[in-house]
Parts: sequence; structure tokens; C-alpha cells
Amino acid sequence: MINIPKKPPPSYLVTIGIPFSILFTVFSFQRVGFNLQDFRENLANRAIVTDPLFNPKWSWAWENTADAMVETVQIAILASIVGCALALPLSFYASRATNLNKYSYFLYKSFLNLVRTIPDLFWAMLFTVAVGIGPFAGVLALIMFSLAIMGKLLSETIDSIDPGPMEAAKATGSTHNQTVFTSALPQVLPNFTAYFLYIFELCIRASVILGLVGAGGVGRIIETQRIFLRFDRISPIIVIILVVVILIEQFSVWIRRKIL
Amino acid sequence: MDKKKDIMNIPKQPISQRILKYTLTTAIVFASLWSAAGLEITIERILDAPRQIGILVGAMFPLDTSQEAIDRIIPKVFESLFIAWAGTVIGAIFSFPVSFLAAQNVAVGAVSRITKQILNAIRAFPELILAFVFLPITGLGAFTGTLALGIHSIGTLGKLSSEVIEGIDEGPLEAIKSSGGSKINELIFGVIPQVMPTITSYWLYRFEINLRASAVLGVIGAGGVGQELINQLRFRDFPRAGTVLICTIALVLIADAISASIRNRIIQGKVVKS
Repeated sequence: MINIPKKPPPSYLVTIGIPFSILFTVFSFQRVGFNLQDFRENLANRAIVTDPLFNPKWSWAWENTADAMVETVQIAILASIVGCALALPLSFYASRATNLNKYSYFLYKSFLNLVRTIPDLFWAMLFTVAVGIGPFAGVLALIMFSLAIMGKLLSETIDSIDPGPMEAAKATGSTHNQTVFTSALPQVLPNFTAYFLYIFELCIRASVILGLVGAGGVGRIIETQRIFLRFDRISPIIVIILVVVILIEQFSVWIRRKIL
Repeated sequence: MDKKKDIMNIPKQPISQRILKYTLTTAIVFASLWSAAGLEITIERILDAPRQIGILVGAMFPLDTSQEAIDRIIPKVFESLFIAWAGTVIGAIFSFPVSFLAAQNVAVGAVSRITKQILNAIRAFPELILAFVFLPITGLGAFTGTLALGIHSIGTLGKLSSEVIEGIDEGPLEAIKSSGGSKINELIFGVIPQVMPTITSYWLYRFEINLRASAVLGVIGAGGVGQELINQLRFRDFPRAGTVLICTIALVLIADAISASIRNRIIQGKVVKS
């Protein structure tokens, strides 16, 4: 007969993890009140939202959303540029390859992690309280948002750069800062550009919802119309947002192909 | 300086590259100036912002750690965790079969194209908009948030998983075919073992994203910790808002760490002690 080797015993991850995750799933569904019966009974209520949602009032949306849409794009542009510019030096400090000091490396790394744990809308709420309602709060919130993402992506890229050029620069007698500038920075610049365009797209998407907490942009109009259940006015706004997002994504794909 | 360059014989950047560089720099500068002007952001406001943020942070300390506050906040924080997990499970269960239909190398061309378009359409709606649609059906509460996250996750997980399936090694499939295996056998013994580790790690990754999103959903009343934060900020109860914030950070950090370590274990395999 064929000599089939014995299967190795499953690891603890499987023997404990799978039953635990099934139990946790059941418990979670109970706690969130998962109830298909109620769902079916109340399904007719969807008419409140979906009927007007599929009867869009285009003329109203054209007249009232243009300014807010421009504001949304401006928030995203400014926040992604400033956030990524701030993240560029920070991520060099938050990488083991370019920061030789163990303690300051740990400090910068934990700072970036801390910024990353707070969701973007929480930042927006905090900044609307701190600097007042308006697009400035939205810009600050998205700066933190893009700073966190760029910091994580870029510092991990710096971790994995080729140490050869840095050694070469050091061998010619350059100081640590010169080494980083001449041989670490050029290696990650293409990645930086790619990440920047990606973050810009994320910011456009995120800046749409900032208005819900009063941080400017087109979400402000969605929020006011939602309170009055005017979903016939919201649906054209959603379509306009989708078109703008898709256009900007195409634009950024085009730039990426040009540069990289 | 010029003389030095002559000696070292450094080649000049080609002119097309230099033009690209300068156009990009001016474009970026002009875009940010245009945006700053349009949003009426002045130097004074920027310089004043750190002070105002400092005041807010100062108002949060000392944190409100009274029994009443803890009893209110902790269940809300865990509610966010349950919403995120249940939403991810919904997304994982439904996206798994769909991703096979969307993969070009498993499904027929037309089926795969149509499924991909459906997934794109789902992904286009932000979770918050989906939550609006579910609010009149399921009411204010955690279930609404779960459904919104679940539906959105189907879109994102379906896309990622189908791309994993498209990137598999065809060799094992051929081996199964040549030993007389059916199409179903190919899927079960050829495709699934290859894609399962990556797809599972995507599920966990999605859970991390959903955890942050579920914290936000409370803003429109779809359950979770967001409701608590916005209420405390509206009532200007800053110490309690600080407690909410710290609890959220702690939850996200712990969940992230656990999920990341499991993901590493799945992708890199067991570390064998030698």
C-alpha cells in the first residue's frame, strides 16, 4: 500500500481558536440583537428610505451641493498633503533602519500607533470641539488620519530597505543624517508617492462623512437632509460623490503610471 | 560649487525629469494654497489650534472614573467589539462563495465579470449610508450597525478574496485533473488549501478595520461607543469623554495586537525551535 505519512496533530491555534471563535460569534450575534423575524416584519419600513432614495431630485442637488463638494475635495487635498509631509520625517524616526536610538524609536513608533487607534470621525469630533465647527476641524482630523496611515506604511517600508547604499555612504565618511538623506530617502521616495496617492483617495472618501459631526464638506448637507428624511435629495448627492471619487481615482491611477 | 561639479563629473538629470519635478512641486503648492484659501484657513487659526487642543485635552484630565461612568461606558465599548465581530462574520460567510464566482480562473468569464461589478457596487456605498437604509428596518441599535458593516465587508472581502484566488499556482489543479479528479475536487483539494491562509488573514484584517468603523457608527445611532463619545462632547462632560476615548484606544490596541499576532502565525507558520 501507499505509505501515507501521518498528519501532524493540529496546533493550539486550531484546537482552541476555532471553538472559541464560534462561541464568540454566537455570543456576539446575541448581543447585537440579531433577529431575522423582526427584520422580516419590519422590512416594509424600508420604503421610508428606499422610495425617496430611488426618486432622486436632481435639480435640487445640482443647485446646492457644488460648493460643499468643492469644500470636500479641498479638505482632502490639504489634509493629505500636510499629513503626508509631516509623516515623512516621523517615519524615518519610527524605523529601526534609520533611527539608531532604541528609546526614541520606541517613542515615535508608539506615537504613530496611538494616532492610528483613534478613528477618523473621533478625531473630527474632538477637533470640532477644540477649534470650532467648520472645515478647519475636518482638515485637522484628516491630517491625523493620513499621518497615521502614511507613518505606518512608510516606516515599514524603511524597515525593509536595502542596507547596501547606506553602508556605502557611511564608508565614505558621511554622518548619520547625510547617510539617511542620500541613501535611505531616495530608496523610499517612489513608495512615498504611491502611498500619497492612495491616502489622497482614502481622504476623499473619508472627508465625505466628516460633515456628519460638523467638520465641513458635503456630509453637512447629507446630515441636514437626513434629519428631515429627505432621502430623495440625498441619493443624487451620493451619485455625485461616487462620480467624483471614481474620477479622482482614475486621475491618481494616471499620475501613478506617469511617475512610477 | 560649479567647479566642484566639473571635477566630480556628476551627470545632470534629464530635462524631461526636471520638468516633471518642477511641475509637480508647483502643482502641489498651488493645490494646497487654493484649498487653504477656499477653506478660509489663516495663519492665526493654525497658530492658535495647538493652544485650543491643549485646553480640550487639559479639560479631560483627571478622567471620570466613577462607578457610574464605568458601568455606562464599558458595555458600550464591548458592544462595538461585538458589532465589529458579527459584521466581519457576516462578511466572511457571504463573501467566501461569492469570491469563487468572481475569480476569473474558477468561474466562466461572464459570471466573473458580473459578480465583480456587483461587488464594486456594494463597495461604493460607505458604511454610514448603508446604516441610514437599515435604520427604519432594524431601528436604533447595534443590529443596524452590524448589518451595515456586514454588507460593506462582503464587498471588500469579496474583492480581496477573489484576487487571492486568481493568483493561485495552477500546478496542483493540473495534478488533481490528471489523477482523475472532478471540478469540485479541484476546488476542494486544489484551490481552497492554497487560498485559505491568506483569506483568513484578510478576514482578521477586515475585523481590525470594522472595529474602528463600528466605533464611528454610533454617531448616527447604530450602536457602539461613538454615540457615547458624541453625547459626552455635546454635554461638555469632558472628563467622561476622556474616559470613553481611553477605553476605545485600549480596546482597539488590544484587539489589534491579538489579531495581528494570529495573522502573523497564519501567514508565516509556526516558528520551529531548533
